[in-house]
Amino acid sequence: MDFDVIETIFVEEAINDHPTTGHILKSLPRAQFIEISRYQEIFNKRHQNFRLQKKNPCLILAKKHENFVLPAPAGFGMNSNLNFYFSHMYNCIYDCRYCFLQGMYSSAHYILFVNYEDFFKAISETIEKYSDNSLTFFSGYDCDSLAFEKISNFANHSLNFFSDHPSIELELRTKSIVTSPLIKREPLRNCIVAFSLSPKKIANILDKKAPSISLRINALKQLAKAGWSVGLRFDPLIYCADWETMYSELIAEIMHDLNPRSLHSVSYGPLRFPKKMYKKIFTLHPNDKLFSFPMKEKAGIISYGTEIEDLMSKFIKNELNKYTSHNKIFRCAV
Amino acid sequence: MEIKIKICWVIALHAEARPIIEAYRMKIFSNELIFPVYINHETGHALVISGIGTARSAAAATYLKTLLSIENYAAWVNIGIAGFFKEPVGKIYQALKVLNCHDNQAFFPGLRLSDYVQGSPLLTVSKPELNFASRVLYDMEAAGFCEVAPLFSCNELTFVFKVVSDTPMTKFNNSKKFVKGLLENNMEIISKLLMQIEEVVAEEEKRLRMPEEVKEVMAIFHFTESNRHNFEMVYRKWRSTFPDRKFDEVQPPENSAKALINNLEKELLDEVKDWTLT
Repeated sequence: MDFDVIETIFVEEAINDHPTTGHILKSLPRAQFIEISRYQEIFNKRHQNFRLQKKNPCLILAKKHENFVLPAPAGFGMNSNLNFYFSHMYNCIYDCRYCFLQGMYSSAHYILFVNYEDFFKAISETIEKYSDNSLTFFSGYDCDSLAFEKISNFANHSLNFFSDHPSIELELRTKSIVTSPLIKREPLRNCIVAFSLSPKKIANILDKKAPSISLRINALKQLAKAGWSVGLRFDPLIYCADWETMYSELIAEIMHDLNPRSLHSVSYGPLRFPKKMYKKIFTLHPNDKLFSFPMKEKAGIISYGTEIEDLMSKFIKNELNKYTSHNKIFRCAV
Repeated sequence: MEIKIKICWVIALHAEARPIIEAYRMKIFSNELIFPVYINHETGHALVISGIGTARSAAAATYLKTLLSIENYAAWVNIGIAGFFKEPVGKIYQALKVLNCHDNQAFFPGLRLSDYVQGSPLLTVSKPELNFASRVLYDMEAAGFCEVAPLFSCNELTFVFKVVSDTPMTKFNNSKKFVKGLLENNMEIISKLLMQIEEVVAEEEKRLRMPEEVKEVMAIFHFTESNRHNFEMVYRKWRSTFPDRKFDEVQPPENSAKALINNLEKELLDEVKDWTLT
């Protein structure tokens, strides 16, 4: 992405003088800078149009005050560890049609919390609090972990931090091919770079503004060759005619010449939305075929329905079992 | 004749409005209204002259919305003159942040249209500004306009443009001719901005407007509130799945809303095996 397309940067008064703010403003010299009191005055306004904002989002630099580290929802990661997540950024530069962020936030503007030091302090405290447990921290729950790295440099700071905590896992989840910040340093054994993937035909239609699947596969293989642990995330699984062939070919292409030892884990998860979120997203894209599917509702969750979900899950698991051990495969159930 | 207004102008002064009225060939709607309203049915423009101040601006926008039953995909534009901390007089800006000096409420109207105008923060004041202490535009209406216009469509279809009329170096000239000239001299830029806005409006219209075939069915069939909502949703799904099908073919003979919804749902379910994403 050419970050020069960011034309307006709103900056909270409180972090006007923060060094990270200075770095970011310097890296986007063409953008206009406007001061605001708090990010909520723009981000949480009612009557915003997420779909229109997505055409040209602004960047909001803000200070996070609380909830730096939160427990990951049950079923998000592998169950063997205690899982936490942190969100240094809200929203994403990509525009994937199925993305839950469009149903969660009323604004498509990017919020970047520049007080990184407070995140790492909170992570340190969590590590100390749960010192008897195996912990995994997930970055990229409310954004893409690497897509904004050229501007934010947050992943670089994270890697520096986690290099001092080798027994604690960090997962960077991404569709980005910005791997240079990782490639140029020694691989961290406790960091997993997890790529979100779909069959090419599906990604070409749904993963708008995101790098192609071929480029993502190249990026993950480069990282694996450089010694990094990689994860594969087939989430959400998208149903359409001939999905078996498409997913089978995708998995074969990824696994071809990928060193099995570099593969940390593989997860898959069905397409699903809380009912309220689905309604909101449907309103944004009422003419999109993805949402025209006769979905089913069960316990407040909208999905393809148990029959299709189980069929797809069983198939993906069988395909994956051809290439990797079953203990690396898990179904994401969030 | 059904009025399909797509651009709604809210302007404080006649002198500011005149170049817009002329450019979009609007005619007075009626001489007996609270606020003067101009309209062109063919080009889809409507304009209301609010008078000075936030309350009048908000009231005039609301009046126009109600008077013409403006649809929720229309764009709302406030344009006029403003003081600025620097020269040159006559330059047009898009307001990116509008702050009401009275209560400190902030608004962030519109999509950024940077191809043709620079952006600036704007402070809405209750008295004409003489000091220009901050590096912002100064007007007397935008905050009132921004408080209500997003309720009628959305924040991204609410736009504020200002032409610099006075600065610390140039005292305000309140002649009608001068004010009209400031707007007139920017009409080329304004028309380019309008073309961009109209594109966004067209996109929103496609998303929000229910086709005539739906309105016809709604008039004939009896829908409960819940059925109406279900029907609109399933119709959208059906139409994007079968863009070339005739709607008549799925309508049941007995004018039953429930039967119609069932027919549409069944057609979608029958399509699942061959489902495509385009």
